Amino acid sequence: MFAADITRVQKQPGSGGREARQGRRMSISQAVEAAGNGSGSEFRRGVASCAPVLFGTIPYALVLGAQATQKGLSTVELSAMTGLNFAGGSEFAAIQLWTSPPHVVLIVAITFLVNSRHLLMGAALAPFLRHLPRRKVFPALFFMCDESWALGLADAKQRAAAGITPAFSPRYYMGAALAMYLAWVSFTTLGALLSPMLGDVGTYGFDMAFPAVFLVLMRGMWTGMAAARPWLVSLIVAALVYLFVPGAWYVAAGAVSGLVAAWLMAGDA
Amino acid sequence: MIDAMTFLTIVLMAGVTYLTRIGGYVVLRNRTLSARATAVMGAAPGCVLISVIAPAFVSKSPADILALAVTLVAATRLSMLPTVLIGVSAAGLLRHLIG
Repeated sequence: MFAADITRVQKQPGSGGREARQGRRMSISQAVEAAGNGSGSEFRRGVASCAPVLFGTIPYALVLGAQATQKGLSTVELSAMTGLNFAGGSEFAAIQLWTSPPHVVLIVAITFLVNSRHLLMGAALAPFLRHLPRRKVFPALFFMCDESWALGLADAKQRAAAGITPAFSPRYYMGAALAMYLAWVSFTTLGALLSPMLGDVGTYGFDMAFPAVFLVLMRGMWTGMAAARPWLVSLIVAALVYLFVPGAWYVAAGAVSGLVAAWLMAGDA
Repeated sequence: MIDAMTFLTIVLMAGVTYLTRIGGYVVLRNRTLSARATAVMGAAPGCVLISVIAPAFVSKSPADILALAVTLVAATRLSMLPTVLIGVSAAGLLRHLIG
């Protein structure tokens, strides 16, 4: 329904403008009801826009599942991790650092650091969620990953520019988010189940998948040489600590020195 | 099937991750972060990721260093799947050839 309204607004600027103004005056409950008429199509639009990203995620999910099994996690444990935590970068970091028994504090701290970007993402999305009740926002945010956030925010900005209220389409967002969630949990689980067929990952070079995944993730975060200087500090400190200090301290040392570098360098600018 | 320490770790991971997801909405929605705080938070994920894989950069095996160099070049121009395939095959092949 809403999609049809959008095309009308664009085709007939005169009457469409009036509709858009009326749209802005609608109360939030009316707007949600109106969106509800097209809920199925909004949801499908979300799933469809997510599809290309989803195919890119599958191999990455399979690798994570396979590596987790090699580190001694059972399939149930791996599915619990990807289903409850649902944040790929932190899961890769956790599996890379996994020992039996795991260093609980180290892994939880690393998880927090890797996922701290969600704080900024949530803050950026917040203005678009102002009119939604918290009982809807809190469950929806559980499914906020890089992909669903980017799609939901870009869509909200587009709709806002086209004069559609509310700009944020919860069903579009949930379509993208649930598609990502289902794909992530099922393909990491499949990776864990297929792992015994792959044998020792070191023999064939499968362990290089970790640096490969991490480097591609970092390329996605790249905003220029100046912003990447803290990463270089992290790399050098982590490598030195790894060479000269026993244990897994290199991760914490590298991460903290990079953050300190970012703090100091931001002062220059 | 589920080890107690593993379960505890997973539940705590899930807890802190959920806090990061709602934290921005709850705490930051009516505030503006300082430029410094934004810079630090923006740099954090990359700092952590590069620290986790730092040992690969100082590997004593020439085959691994070469394979990492190939992977690094691939990562700057290709998407996830081709990069992983190239990285894994380069490591497998170079280890076989150089040892």
